Amino acid sequence: MLKSLDPRVNRLAIPDDFEAPMAAKEQLDQFETYQSFTQTKEGKPFEHAGTVHAPNEEMAFLFAKEQFSRRGTFCYALCVVKTELILVSEFTDNGQDVYDTFKGNYSGDTSQSFEVFHLLKRGKNHKHIGTVEAKNFEDALLASKETYPRDKPVFNVWIAKSEDILMSDEEDADIWNTLKEKKYRDAMDYKAADRIKAFKAEQG
Amino acid sequence: MNQNAIKDLLYKMADDQLILGHRNSEWTGFGPLLEEDIAFSSMAQDKVGQSWQLYKILNELGESDPDTVAFMRNAEQFHNSQFVELPNGEYDFSLIRHFLFDTAELIRFQMLAESSFETLANLAKKIKGETKYHSMHANIWIKQLGSATEESISRLQDSLDKSMPYALGMFEVSEFEQELINEGLFAGEEALKAQWKSKVTEVISETSLILPDMESITPVYGGRYGKHTEHLQPLLTEMSEVFNVDPTADW
Repeated sequence: MLKSLDPRVNRLAIPDDFEAPMAAKEQLDQFETYQSFTQTKEGKPFEHAGTVHAPNEEMAFLFAKEQFSRRGTFCYALCVVKTELILVSEFTDNGQDVYDTFKGNYSGDTSQSFEVFHLLKRGKNHKHIGTVEAKNFEDALLASKETYPRDKPVFNVWIAKSEDILMSDEEDADIWNTLKEKKYRDAMDYKAADRIKAFKAEQG
Repeated sequence: MNQNAIKDLLYKMADDQLILGHRNSEWTGFGPLLEEDIAFSSMAQDKVGQSWQLYKILNELGESDPDTVAFMRNAEQFHNSQFVELPNGEYDFSLIRHFLFDTAELIRFQMLAESSFETLANLAKKIKGETKYHSMHANIWIKQLGSATEESISRLQDSLDKSMPYALGMFEVSEFEQELINEGLFAGEEALKAQWKSKVTEVISETSLILPDMESITPVYGGRYGKHTEHLQPLLTEMSEVFNVDPTADW
C-alpha cells in the first residue's frame, strides 16, 4: 500500500503499484468561469477581484465570497458575472486612451442598462465607473465615452449588462462580519529552534 | 445561573463544532473542485474558531484552558452528537451532514442571541455572519445537486436517509433541560428541533429529494452523555498528535 505522512492518504488504501493512467477524457470538463467584483466600503466603487469556476451564478457567488473576501480583506458587497457575458474592449498602451479608438456616435437609445469598468493602470484591477443606458454593447461603449470625462487615459473597458450581474443582498452584508480573532490559526509563537538544532545535530 | 446546566450546554456545542470542524478539514486538498475545497476548508476553520470561543467561556467559568479541554480528553468525555464524528465517506454524505448540522447551528445561535447569559448571547450575535454564510453555502449546494442529475439526486437521497437518525440525535435533551429553559438560558432542544424541521423541509421541498418521515425514525442518542461510535477515538488521537508531542509547548 502507498505510504504517506498524511494519514488521510493512507486511509485511501492506494496500491503501491498504482500506475494505471487516468481514463482519457473526451474533452475538457471544466465549469464555466465567472468574474467577481468586491466593494470594500459602502459607496466605494466595485473592483475586480478575480475569477472562479462554477456551474451557475449562485455557486459562483458562494465561491467568490470565500476566495476574495476573507482573510483581512474588508468587504461590504460582492457581485459576480459570467465571463462570456462581459464585452472586453481592445487594450491600449503608451498613454493612449482606448476611447479614442471607438468610432461613431451614441444612439441615445436607453432600452438597456450596462455596467462600465475601467482599467486605469496596467497590472491593476478594473474598477466600476458607472451605469449607462444604450441599445447594445457597442452603443454602451460610445455612451460611456460621452458620459465619463477622462483626465487620464483608460487602457481597457469592460461592459456587462446590469441584469446579468448577481449582486449580494444588502441584508446579507453581515456574512462579512466574522470573528476577528484568528490567532488559533497561527503557529508563529511556536518556539522550536532548540529542537530543530538538536535534530540537525543528530542528523550530522 | 445554574453553572452545571450552562457548562453542559457549552460543552456539547463546542464539542460538536470542534469535531465537525476537524472532520470537514479532512477534505482539505481532496475537495471536488478547487473553489469548493477552499470554501469548505474555510468553514471548517470557522467551526474550530467558534469552538475555541465556547471553550474560552468555559474556561472563564472555571474549566481547564481551551487546549487542554480540546486535546486532553478521551472519547467518553466528549459531549458531541454521534452525527459529527461519523467518517466523511463520499462528498454527498459530507454535504448532507453540513446541511443538516449547519441549519440547526444557525437556529441554535439565533435562539442563543436571546439568552439570559450575556456572554453567550454576545458571542451568538458576533458569529451570526459566519453561520449565515455556512447555511447559505449548504442550502445552495443541496438545491443544486438535489435536482441536478439522476446520480446526484440518488446519492444525496441515500445520504439523507442514512443521516436522519443521527441528525435527530443532535437534539438529545440535557439532564438540565428544564433549568436551561426556566432560567432563559436556552429555549431547549425541542423548540430548536421544531424550527429545524420546518427549515429542512422548506429547503428539501425545492429539490427532487424526499424527506424521510421523521416521526417513524428512532434517533441515535448517547453522544451528549459520552457514548460514542468507534470512530471518535481515532479522530481524537489524530487531532491531538502534534499537541501530544509536547503538551507544554508555548504556541
